[in-house]
Amino acid sequence: MKKYWRCHVCNDIHYGIRPPEICPTCEFKNAYVEISSAEAKKIQAAETDMDKVKFRQAIGEFAKRNEFQVNPNTDKVNMLIDGVFSCEENHGMKYCPCRLIAKDFEEDLKLVCPCNFLIHETYKDKEDGECWCGLFIRRKK
Amino acid sequence: MFHGRECPHCQAMMPLVDRLENEAGIKIDKKEIWHNEKNADLMRSLRDIIEPKCGGQLRTPTFMNTETNDIMCGEVQYGKLKEWATR
Repeated sequence: MKKYWRCHVCNDIHYGIRPPEICPTCEFKNAYVEISSAEAKKIQAAETDMDKVKFRQAIGEFAKRNEFQVNPNTDKVNMLIDGVFSCEENHGMKYCPCRLIAKDFEEDLKLVCPCNFLIHETYKDKEDGECWCGLFIRRKK
Repeated sequence: MFHGRECPHCQAMMPLVDRLENEAGIKIDKKEIWHNEKNADLMRSLRDIIEPKCGGQLRTPTFMNTETNDIMCGEVQYGKLKEWATR
């Protein structure tokens, strides 16, 4: 059964059967503790100081540590970030602007940007894979 | 057609939809789902029809033929859009 996990170093939240061994945000090892869904929601709601510039920097840093990159199409990225922030303002979380929430909190967490697109058919096993909205694309070798 | 205002794929499809309407005489009803809760509820009510054709999710853009329930989602070339709309 999936549970919420929080990195006690940087407050990164993970939702899954088990926590990551290494935190993808601060790279601390074995730093996750189990938390309730209420605590996870509270932490995520508290992240309100993130503006669009910081978000763009954060996804850039996130992509650097991975096999993908932020889409070089700046217009597309700016539109998507506008959408992510519009979703947060109108619907409470930074949801993907190219998918619709089900109005089920736990299910809708899967749509919070950046989502786990590595398992989606639009990315997995594709040389030119990208997340559904196109914010992240596989880095060329 | 279900679309999102800040969805680049949807924006890319709009001129193709307009062209299709002009060339084929087909009317495509455009429903924005992130800023219009009525449209969002309508799309959610069609989950069982849409999700099996769209990676198990409610994705935009989604094109739906209301007569046949035929679904197509994503950014496609004009030929594919026309083929879907006229078959």
